[in-house]
Amino acid sequence: MADPGTDPAGIPLSQLRHAEEAMGTVFSFDIRGGEPTAVKAALEEAVAGLHTVDEVFSTYREDSQISRLDRGEVTIEECDPEVAEVLELCAEAERLSEGWFSATYEGRFDPTGLVKGWATERAALRLVEAGAVGVSVNGGGDVQLCGVPGPDRPWRVGVADPLRPGGLAAVVTAAGADRLAVATSGTAERGAHIVDPRTGKSAVTDLVSVTAVGPHLTWADCWATAAFAMGSREGLAWLESLPDTEALLITAGDEVRCTGGLASRLG
Amino acid sequence: MLTGSAVQTDYGPVQVRITVNGGKITQAEALQQPSGGRSTQISGTAIPQLNQNAVAAGSADIDAVSGATYTSGGYKESLQSALDQAGG
Repeated sequence: MADPGTDPAGIPLSQLRHAEEAMGTVFSFDIRGGEPTAVKAALEEAVAGLHTVDEVFSTYREDSQISRLDRGEVTIEECDPEVAEVLELCAEAERLSEGWFSATYEGRFDPTGLVKGWATERAALRLVEAGAVGVSVNGGGDVQLCGVPGPDRPWRVGVADPLRPGGLAAVVTAAGADRLAVATSGTAERGAHIVDPRTGKSAVTDLVSVTAVGPHLTWADCWATAAFAMGSREGLAWLESLPDTEALLITAGDEVRCTGGLASRLG
Repeated sequence: MLTGSAVQTDYGPVQVRITVNGGKITQAEALQQPSGGRSTQISGTAIPQLNQNAVAAGSADIDAVSGATYTSGGYKESLQSALDQAGG
């Protein structure tokens, strides 16, 4: 049987859409192709997975594993294996961002800034494993794309213009990439506590938004948050130094700055 | 055609209706907008801009929107919500 994503007859792929409220936001799924029963079952698993992540990692819930771990009531070994995984990812993100991404807030362990992107990427990969040809999962404004939406076009993501509500600052295309993530941090950001590691106080930034583009949403989301805190000059230079990462930065003065390779992703 | 719920703003209620054709937003118009005093001046420029930009978003043929994280409530007013409803 021909791969439906590259069907020369150009037959559109089947489509399954779903919006799920979790983690204080909404996750939008757009799934193309695959065997319908398998894809539907995987969507149910992915959605259940988001709620499990919320229960395990919520810093708002006194009985979550993260809250109990923070109070010393349980050890990492007694938690779900995902807790150790997220702790390691947070440590890596802190190291690579020289502390600009931080999972410590007011003395407490708070992985909120990493968990949503990680959970969104994981949900998308679950659907790919189940045989979907194209997957787009938008976790409250941070998007993981896999495969293609149809035989004749790539996934396309609008980047919201923070200074013109309802408008777009750019359109990013996933053409040629099997995995692409688009993550945006901005002044309206929820859940990310943006702190200057040199002062320990709220970061002073000249930016209103940073959009990071790369293969993995887990990292793109962390890098957008870190660069936002750094400000336009240091943030842009740091983003340029990261492999497989492009970015679009918008300043409060409505100036748009991009990494050198972003142009190949715009369209 | 999709009509959003009216949202209370500091300047009065705002309600927007979008027209979707073949999965794209082809028109956006304000059904309710504040009037009187300074709010008329503000909405006078803001609403046509929203219209123009929403149409630009429609013609951009996008599948998803990336932006600063919205709340569950904010989602209802988002372009992503319009895309989800349009199903295209």
